[in-house]
Amino acid sequence: MSLLSVDNLSIGYETKNGMVKAVDGISFSLEKGRPLGFVGESGCGKTTIGMTLMGLLPDNAKILSGSVRFQTQDLVRLTEDQWRSVRGKDIAMIFQAAMNALNPVYRVDDQVREAILAHRPDISDKELNHRIRELFELVEIPYERIHDYPHEYSGGMKQRVIIAMALACQPQVIIADEPTTALDVIVQDQILEELRAIQSKLNTGLIFISHDIAVVASICEDICVMYGGQIVETGTRKEVFSSPRHPYTKTLLGSYLSLDNEEHIIIPDMRESADLTLASGCCRFQANCTACDAACKSDQPTWIDISPTHKALCCDAGIIRNPHD
Amino acid sequence: MTNYDPDKHPLIEMKGVTKAYNPRKGFFGRKGNKVLALNDIDLNIHKGEIFGLVGQSGSGKTTTGRLLVKLEDPTHGKIRLKGELINDLGGKPLQHFRSKVQMIFQDPYQSLNPHLSIAETISEPLVVHGIGSPESRREKVIQTLETVGLRPGKAFYNHYPHQLSGGQRQRVAVARAIVLDPEFIVADEPTSMLDATIAIQLLRLLSRIRDEFGMTFLFITHNLAAAKYLCDRVAVIHEGHIVEVNTAENIIRNPEHPYTKKLIKVQPGFRF
Ligand SMILES: Nc1ncnc2c1ncn2[C@@H]1O[C@H](COP(=O)(O)OP(=O)(O)O)[C@@H](O)[C@H]1O
Ligand SMILES: Nc1ncnc2c1ncn2[C@@H]1O[C@H](COP(=O)(O)OP(=O)(O)O)[C@@H](O)[C@H]1O
Ligand SMILES: [Mg+2]
Ligand SMILES: [Mg+2]
Repeated sequence: MSLLSVDNLSIGYETKNGMVKAVDGISFSLEKGRPLGFVGESGCGKTTIGMTLMGLLPDNAKILSGSVRFQTQDLVRLTEDQWRSVRGKDIAMIFQAAMNALNPVYRVDDQVREAILAHRPDISDKELNHRIRELFELVEIPYERIHDYPHEYSGGMKQRVIIAMALACQPQVIIADEPTTALDVIVQDQILEELRAIQSKLNTGLIFISHDIAVVASICEDICVMYGGQIVETGTRKEVFSSPRHPYTKTLLGSYLSLDNEEHIIIPDMRESADLTLASGCCRFQANCTACDAACKSDQPTWIDISPTHKALCCDAGIIRNPHD
Repeated sequence: MTNYDPDKHPLIEMKGVTKAYNPRKGFFGRKGNKVLALNDIDLNIHKGEIFGLVGQSGSGKTTTGRLLVKLEDPTHGKIRLKGELINDLGGKPLQHFRSKVQMIFQDPYQSLNPHLSIAETISEPLVVHGIGSPESRREKVIQTLETVGLRPGKAFYNHYPHQLSGGQRQRVAVARAIVLDPEFIVADEPTSMLDATIAIQLLRLLSRIRDEFGMTFLFITHNLAAAKYLCDRVAVIHEGHIVEVNTAENIIRNPEHPYTKKLIKVQPGFRF
């Protein structure tokens, strides 16, 4: 059984210009031991999904439809009281830019201590200290540095503390939202290595969010490519990266610079940002799609299967079934 | 600066440049040693080149850029533009220098003044240097907007930064940098906050501007792949030292310094 499964989830934000549908009818499931990646440009709804799974949507957000199955519960129906026993305990999140939010006046081990005590107030001192030691070992921070203040840490070490805090209560699901975006490549590489090692050691469920496709590719077995609040393509990493089918996935991969691909770079012409006010279920990529025709503006896209695990959302099966351009 | 011969002098020349900072006061006001942000740097950038400066954060990239546009002065060493020393410029020559060099910053959300319209933002350098009439400036701004791909220019003229996306803001920053037809532009990680699909378009734009106007660029980045894509030559900087200079091609194929090897190893790619 899936660890977590999301069905037809839609989330809107009330704004002064009306409702923007930041997440539009997405479904996915997270399997134990298979890290799941969400990738797409900024504003495509990645953080909104993470916040939904943590029960932390802001006041102007509204869950318009859908369910989130976790264990025996539907998370979208939880009261705030019920959330308190799930959030941070069963499901934990490494928030975007969290390392800059470590409290500067508390020592790092005390901050990890707080994270444990929040859910296990009766833990004995002995066990608490043991757990702290274990967590710092897990994220490879030397024991003699655990009493330091955050400013004495490098960016990479701060991010390790954030990871330790997320792991504090042995969650079943960890959501990592752009955990390496603020770090430079060398430190990013170390943190990714760390996450990989921890994930395979603890075998937790991992949802990994990033705008950087190569970073997602290096961590995740299963990939969801998002555009404008919709999942437009999903599959195993091999399927999505070796044989992308949706025009947006092709654009995203085609414009990604790596050390060995410059001959094949396609310069996209992405002018419009996605229109989040379109009616539910309309293709949100149509304004930027080079393959789009009139039918795409009137028809609703459907899921087109390429394999049992690989599918893409499009109005035109011909586009999706053709692996070449 | 009239009889500059690009065969005799590089456009930019740094010789033995060192920059020391007094340490920032730590949170608890601890005192530390001086930070040597740059340590005895030699660097030549030729006219018309896009020169890449690659290194991890804290390595001294921004400091190099700030010295070259004279937002700061070196602690030791000499910096020349077209063979002329800029260390001690003042008065008129300094003002002239300021019209010839420009800088584009990393964060398009912080580098544009939110209270200025796009037109005011781009025409400000023209006004400061007393160039043109209001009408000719308007023309120049619209033309520059179109050059950077914000078309039609008139449509963006009266916009404010908050109405633009990150990629569009960065184009405005480029427009502001080129409006005076400078000789040299420092672009400090101009794409690091942008999505890949937008970043690649901005790199194309910089390359087109170089081709069209013959401007010279220092392109600062932590992304070796971006440097390879855009730059003629690349310097790798590590803890305030330049550890190697070569074409990106050669650096990637035959890295000499261990740090460069490490940098290549950690570049994200699709190896799985
Ligand atoms: N509190 C909010 N109020 C209104 N709109 C919001 C709010 N938070 C996010 N949005 C909008 O929802 C969309 C998705 O945002 P987000 O989930 O943060 O995307 P991502 O994490 O992929 O960058 C964006 O268009 C964003 O502007
Ligand atoms: N104004 C300043 N005061 C003190 N130290 C500084 C200042 N600016 C930069 N530094 C230090 O100089 C070094 C190089 O910084 P910088 O040039 O910004 O690096 P980069 O741009 O490569 O990240 C760093 O150690 C940084 O902390
Ligand atoms: Mg986000
Ligand atoms: Mg910098």
